[in-house]
Amino acid sequence: MGGSGPSGRDVLRQVISGQRRDVALGSLLGAGHQAGEALVPVLIGVVIDQAVAGGEVTPLLAWLAVLAVVYVGLSFSFRFGARAGERAAEQAAHVLRVQLVTRVVDPRGGAENGRLPGALTSIATEDAKRVGTVAMAVMFGFSALMGLLVGAVVLLRISIPLGLVVLVGTPVLLWAGHLLSKPLERRSEAEQERAAHASGVAADLVAGLRVLKGIGAESAAVARYRRTSRDSLVATLRAARAEAVQNGMVLTLTGVFIAVVALVGGRLAIDGDISLGQLVSAVGLALFLLGPLEVFSWVNADFAQGRASAARIAGVLAAPPDVVPGDARLPERLSGALRLRGVGHGSLRDIDLDVAPGEVLGVAATDPADAAALLRCLSRQADPDTGVIELDGVPLRDLDPADIRMAMLVAEHDADLFEGTLHGNVTAAAPAAADPGAALAAMAAAGADEVALAVPRGGDATVSERGRSLSGGQRQRVALARALAADRPVLVVHDPTTAVDAVTEARIATGVREIRRGRTTILVTTSPALLAVADRVVLLDGGRIADTAPHADLVERHAAYRTAVLA
Amino acid sequence: MTTPASSEAREPSRYLLPTATPAETRAAMRDLLRPHRMLLLGGFAVMVGATAVGLATQPLLGRIVDLVAERHPAGAITLPVVLLGVVAVVQGVTTALGLSLVSRLGETVLARLRERFVDRALRLPLERVEKAGSGDLTARVTADVSQIAEAVRTALPELSRSLLSIVLTLVALAVLDWRFLVAALLAVPIQAHTARWYVRNAVPLYARQRVAAGAQQQQLLDTIGGAATVRAFRLEAEHIDQVTRRSWSAVELTMRGVQLVLRFYSRLHVAEYTGLAAVLVAGFVLVRSGSASIGTATAAALYFHSLFGPINSALVLIDDAQSAGASLARLVGVAAAPSGEHDAGPESEHENEHSAEHGAGRAGDQAAVTVSGLGHAYEPGRPVLHDVDLVLRTGERVALVGASGAGKTTLAKLIAGVHRPATGSVRLAVAPSAGNGRPVALVTQEVHVFAGPLADDLRLARPGAGDDDLREALTLVGALDWAEALPDGIATVVGEGGHRLTPTQVQQVALARLVLADPPVAVLDEATAEAGSTGARALESAADRAIEGRTALVVAHRLTQAATADRVVVMDAGRIVEIGAHDELRAGGGSYAALWEAWSDTRAPHPPGPPRSPHPPNDAPRHATNPKST
Repeated sequence: MGGSGPSGRDVLRQVISGQRRDVALGSLLGAGHQAGEALVPVLIGVVIDQAVAGGEVTPLLAWLAVLAVVYVGLSFSFRFGARAGERAAEQAAHVLRVQLVTRVVDPRGGAENGRLPGALTSIATEDAKRVGTVAMAVMFGFSALMGLLVGAVVLLRISIPLGLVVLVGTPVLLWAGHLLSKPLERRSEAEQERAAHASGVAADLVAGLRVLKGIGAESAAVARYRRTSRDSLVATLRAARAEAVQNGMVLTLTGVFIAVVALVGGRLAIDGDISLGQLVSAVGLALFLLGPLEVFSWVNADFAQGRASAARIAGVLAAPPDVVPGDARLPERLSGALRLRGVGHGSLRDIDLDVAPGEVLGVAATDPADAAALLRCLSRQADPDTGVIELDGVPLRDLDPADIRMAMLVAEHDADLFEGTLHGNVTAAAPAAADPGAALAAMAAAGADEVALAVPRGGDATVSERGRSLSGGQRQRVALARALAADRPVLVVHDPTTAVDAVTEARIATGVREIRRGRTTILVTTSPALLAVADRVVLLDGGRIADTAPHADLVERHAAYRTAVLA
Repeated sequence: MTTPASSEAREPSRYLLPTATPAETRAAMRDLLRPHRMLLLGGFAVMVGATAVGLATQPLLGRIVDLVAERHPAGAITLPVVLLGVVAVVQGVTTALGLSLVSRLGETVLARLRERFVDRALRLPLERVEKAGSGDLTARVTADVSQIAEAVRTALPELSRSLLSIVLTLVALAVLDWRFLVAALLAVPIQAHTARWYVRNAVPLYARQRVAAGAQQQQLLDTIGGAATVRAFRLEAEHIDQVTRRSWSAVELTMRGVQLVLRFYSRLHVAEYTGLAAVLVAGFVLVRSGSASIGTATAAALYFHSLFGPINSALVLIDDAQSAGASLARLVGVAAAPSGEHDAGPESEHENEHSAEHGAGRAGDQAAVTVSGLGHAYEPGRPVLHDVDLVLRTGERVALVGASGAGKTTLAKLIAGVHRPATGSVRLAVAPSAGNGRPVALVTQEVHVFAGPLADDLRLARPGAGDDDLREALTLVGALDWAEALPDGIATVVGEGGHRLTPTQVQQVALARLVLADPPVAVLDEATAEAGSTGARALESAADRAIEGRTALVVAHRLTQAATADRVVVMDAGRIVEIGAHDELRAGGGSYAALWEAWSDTRAPHPPGPPRSPHPPNDAPRHATNPKST
């Protein structure tokens, strides 16, 4: 994950070399299995020739014993070879998945730029799986090649002309089948995609069920789904027909090919060039060889898919970081003084600001974009375009973002809760040494104690993914409690009470002020309840600091402030 | 904010939507297949024909072997070879026809089934869906439908071909000589035992596998979706550890599944060998006793060898068939739910979930909505509403105020008719809406943008609306500017996988839908809450315009909304505690007055407000420097 990061090719190489033992074992055993499968039709021919035609019991038993040995061999090599291959694929996918997640949550950020969470998740599951499959494709490709070689050697030993007919005929046959079915395949793929669309529409309608119910649009939605479903049915039927035709053509081609092999083999047998059993073996082998050759075609497709997936994975792993860590250190005992000089970023211009240790500062922005830009810089998700931000005299630019975040927590408005218990969420980032009372105090200050009372099992209640089992207001209060419980020397909170009722909001404002006593706290909000408890409030207007004063003074003297803060 | 979400959290026992019994599933399938009887028969007949023709291959090859063994001249094999070619062509054509008939049947029935399912699913009473968790319904509509679709697309044709091949090949073996059939059947006990063993072990294992895969997916969504939060709180190590553990347990279960499948194949190899050896021995005995030719023995051996493929596929497909069967039961469970689930008759769709008596009394008395004796509980013993009486007069705007958990959302939902009250009634005395006939519309803070063109999303509220109607609605909620500025204007694909809208835009879309639905009664449940404080005000004025001229109930946490309403209803602990105009209540000195005081205090220009007083600002070092205070 260094410097420029890996390419798709590097990812593939890493997968194969990381699993080389299993890949090698799988290839070897897979080859054994294919050789065994090739020998079965040969041995049927031999039994017919040596035993059935001759009528002797001893050769019958002998050859049946040989057949048994071949079966034992092919069965075991298949079982353990395929297991090694699957293991390689699964482990490779697992390793990639962990690497991807490690990169995504890397303190330097940058992996999510231009990628939605859903897309990233699908890269970590589907793409990782496809790349893992390449390990198995290598193994299957090698085994098929071995099967092909064994078949070819046996055929050529039976008869050179017959062997050549089969060896040239099978690839020609597959190629012809491929050629004939290609336009069908393309059409069928496009149509399968349209068919998949129907399922997407249905899921989307169910996801919006409450909205549909709210406006009474169930019938309209059902009608829309029915149209989609009918369209998709038409497309699917076309695709299914194409596939049926393709199946039929492959059957016809195979049958004609067998007829040709029978014609050539039969003539050779009548002329006495090959034995009866060899004729049977040749027909059996001709059928068998279609197997390994087909394996090649899907191995090829797996490789193509694997390459595309590996490129997507490499794209995430090699994503340029948002910020470059410096190697300066923060002082052991942090006073929590912040200093901004000439800071410009996004819509922000020329921000000069000093926050004293222990101060509670309010920041009210008339444009949410200004607040967002300031928060990005403070959390060092981005460096300011101009100017410098210093924490205890050390420029943030010279620090590792991970260190900054241990010292200064920027709790964003849209912070997520995670699957787990209510209490677990609150204490997620709390110092390990914190006493249990601290979490309860944080919950009380954030009004999350009421949340715990409102849900069954209180603090032990399960919070589902992203906190969806809680209402918006409950989520906000738990998230704020978590930020308070993290107990960082500097805390920046952004709009923590937008979904909280007025009474609770006033309580929260008091609680936050109380619990953060003596430590630097910045409240980025337009809520008057919160701004009223700040020592000073900075008014950001038009990307600049328009005024700085206590809330009450700003309300009195600044129209823009009144508009932004008081509805 | 007693949202349905929190009632979900309060639901410890897992309630799921109904699943059909095997008998019900079969009955539903018969019902679905009935209109396509001819297709079913035709497809089956053609497939039988195709398979039967294909079985001529082995005897023809055997015939060639016999001709060679009997030392006929070379020209004698031309006829069987030509016949082989004919068989190939006929088999190809009939198989193509048969397969397309079979998939046409399968796909058509599947389409009808999923349509019926979605129809019923969208009309299920909301509280039932919420009780089960919307995940249950989503899983059925996605995973189960695609499971069945996959089975219909691949397993059904393959299985029907395989089964026919097996049956007809066994028949053909018997035709050659019944003793060949007996020999071949020696493999069957082993196969049957293997299949039973496999299904017994595979079903619970795969269920665990699905759970593990789901947990892994969930964890990835949680961690990746919340990556910014993970970084901000320095939770990287914990999350990487959780992902590693969940991913690894999914890998382990997958590997156990793989081993199971591989052991399954090993056992099938034993069956293969047993049958093959038996057929060869039978051939040996029959040829030696003169009851069969070498060619016949060859044909028998080739028949048996050609059975490997179909038998393996059929046995493997048992698994697919099993999971498709389980999925089918889950779909049929909802699709065939008795219509008693849906209260009203099918012809009055807007009343489908509207369980309260929406009587048709005329609006002479001015009352648009009459709520009487309304009570509700999401679970027995935990009532959230008690005995609520309320009248909304035609054209009136009523604000609903109260602390979190006071029952505001529940009352809103009952009035909007998306929940059925446990006791009491909601009577409407209004005309149906212009948009889709429903007299009441509800807009909440839970939003969703439907995937597809923005115009299609809006038309859900009024199916017949023209583009001008849509633009008018967007204008009214202040959304036309950005909507026209989208890459393709109002035809831009939005929602999942499309153009992403901001939370404010999403709420504007929700309000535009309300305008289009044009109901006489509108219920807004904090429809402006989640946009952040700056966006909220813009949305509030959009909401004001959207409910202009309607009877409106507005659940508000910003008291400005209450101050501009005709009347304010104050709720506490599931009861209405005060009703009156803003000024009356303020002067009345009750709980609304207290609420207003607390709220307006924080907005008041003059300290000391209660939040400030306990913390004199001088407990912190005063403004160190204040370089730019103007």
